[in-house]
Amino acid sequence: MGVVLEVQELKKKYGSLEALRGVSFKVEEGEIFGLIGPNGAGKTTTLRIIATLLTPTDGRVTFMGYDLKKNPEKFREHISYLPEEAGAYRNMKGIDYLNFMARFYARDEAQVKEYVERAERICGLGERLKDKVGTYSKGMTRKLLLARALMTKPALAILDEPTSGLDVINSLEVREMIKGFTKEGVSVLLSSHNMLEVEFLSDRVALIDRGQILDSETPQGLKDKYQASNLEIVFRSAVR
Amino acid sequence: MKNFTHLLLKEIKELLNKQLIFSLLFILIIFNFIFNFIGNVTKSEIKKAMSKQKVAVLDLDHSPVSRNLIGALNAANFIIEEKSGDKSKVVDEIRHSSLDLLVVIPEGFGEKATRFQPVEVETYSFLRGVSLAGRSKSEVVKMLLNSTNEYLSNQFLKSKIPDLDPKLLKAPIKNKEYVVVKDKQAEGSSAAVIGAMTAQNFILPVILMMIIMYSAQMVITAIAMEKQNKTLETLLTVPISRTSIVMAKMLAAALVGLISAVIYILGFRKAFIFSEADIGQALSGLAPIMKQLGLTINTQGYILFGISLFLTILCALALATILGVLAEDYRTAQSLSFPLIFLVMIPYFISLFADINSMSLPAKLLVLAIPFSHPFFAMTNIMFGDLNMVYVGIVYNFLFVVVLLSWTTRIFSTDRVLTMKLKWGKKKMVL
Ligand SMILES: Nc1ncnc2c1ncn2[C@@H]1O[C@H](COP(=O)(O)OP(=O)(O)OP(=O)(O)O)[C@@H](O)[C@H]1O
Ligand SMILES: [Mg+2]
Repeated sequence: MGVVLEVQELKKKYGSLEALRGVSFKVEEGEIFGLIGPNGAGKTTTLRIIATLLTPTDGRVTFMGYDLKKNPEKFREHISYLPEEAGAYRNMKGIDYLNFMARFYARDEAQVKEYVERAERICGLGERLKDKVGTYSKGMTRKLLLARALMTKPALAILDEPTSGLDVINSLEVREMIKGFTKEGVSVLLSSHNMLEVEFLSDRVALIDRGQILDSETPQGLKDKYQASNLEIVFRSAVR
Repeated sequence: MKNFTHLLLKEIKELLNKQLIFSLLFILIIFNFIFNFIGNVTKSEIKKAMSKQKVAVLDLDHSPVSRNLIGALNAANFIIEEKSGDKSKVVDEIRHSSLDLLVVIPEGFGEKATRFQPVEVETYSFLRGVSLAGRSKSEVVKMLLNSTNEYLSNQFLKSKIPDLDPKLLKAPIKNKEYVVVKDKQAEGSSAAVIGAMTAQNFILPVILMMIIMYSAQMVITAIAMEKQNKTLETLLTVPISRTSIVMAKMLAAALVGLISAVIYILGFRKAFIFSEADIGQALSGLAPIMKQLGLTINTQGYILFGISLFLTILCALALATILGVLAEDYRTAQSLSFPLIFLVMIPYFISLFADINSMSLPAKLLVLAIPFSHPFFAMTNIMFGDLNMVYVGIVYNFLFVVVLLSWTTRIFSTDRVLTMKLKWGKKKMVL
């Protein structure tokens, strides 16, 4: 298994505020990598940098052999990013939104169709896809956006708190969905402050706090290392 | 390119939403209807005022002079309805009729007139409303008195100096007017030439202002809506260059802004129906004079104007894009577009009501520093052959566009597109 994404000594300052103070980790092909940390730890900042939205103050990001600074367009071609707080065009029907987004990635119409059909399966919105996005509930919109992020089978899906705003049942469904996708060769980098979710989903996790990675391991490895029964307790010990 | 047109189509569709289409249709239909209505009413009122006026006359004098005066009034576009009897009774009678005006020629009128003494007539206007026709009544009284005066003074002059034409006595000078523009001159009235030029230039600033304002507002709204709906982040991560995103937004806004401006102008056109007719009339009569004076625009002039306008629209779009980035949602976008609208209004009003060339130098420079100013004054400058001003304007606007566009694309290719905000307080603006 090769390394899809490598982040080295990433630093980001917002004015005088140091949001990231040297973050490093690797995501391997076909794995789900979870970034966990409390509010304001720097999760979103890290993901936004990798998604080409923010420019890092310092450090290096390599994706499929491409350098972020030199080839951001290669990143955009093969990455899907689900922002933490996102919406879709309210005046568009769900199905039109999927079509609109698919066209940016597809080579031809057949592929557009393939992508949209996959998205329909993922989101499970059925007939409601014919309604305008403006009429969707928060959870429905979230599922639509998640489906659009996964439909192109990107080399790396970056999901910032994928289950935020979803109820228990929907969260479970979404988690199953994400897990199913890695079997098809998609790598996932996700963030969450829900330790249980990350424990269930991730092959490996990184603990992030105040802009620094505290530790990075498999969930089982971390639990063994800190002699804890779950990741919440691991996190508390690591922060101390 | 494929992705660019794809995005452009979406931008146009987003801007041409139901609300906009509805309001444009509303403008087109309602305004046409209203102005048609107003236009027709005013037209018929004016027609009424200009056609022969019915006037009631009560002759208490019964002298040859008073009879002749009534005859003269009859000849001078008045329809006379003679009344007889007691004055108060006649007034009472007319109050209940549709007549608007009563002239009373008092007793002794003829006798005084033949002795060259000042004479009196009484006019009674019956007001039944304050419409245009009501107001034009005083005009009718004036016309009536003029006709009366004209008749009497002609009579006096004829009786004293029988072998001279009274007209020559009253106005011995005849003016022959010439207009000079630079090295050319033509016979004609300067008031008419200026009138024709302002009439011709009247509609242009309106169109200019609307196009600039609408496209600018469209861009600001388009970007602000991406922020409000939280779609901007996703859009910025799809495989399409940032320049394409900016260009698609600008182009879509320019197109939709242009369409809206055209529709608004079509809607408001009825409001200018009189001036339009006036323009046509004034121009057809003055065309040879304008040509003789070189006050016409050739192909080169139109091309220069086109370039000036194009660069100005680009300026507005680029400026609006930056303002759009500063906006957080639709509402802040609206308030952020005010400074832009204000900047367009300045040259608009100056071009309508003042002469930029007669302003003091600092004021003039200040106005010309606004990039939107130049096309407003370009037409007049092209007409008068002051091409240097036009060239300077084009170069200035070109530099402005280059700076603004590179700034805009730089904002869009860095994090500033997401982090730029207006901050009041410590630092005024974090750009
Ligand atoms: N645009 C911005 N301008 C200034 N500071 C910012 C900006 N975005 C984030 N920060 C700061 O950077 C730090 C990290 O924020 P970030 O959003 O990455 O945290 P997070 O781990 O995603 O938190 P959460 O779990 O609440 O989403 C915080 O202190 C935050 O205040
Ligand atoms: Mg976050």
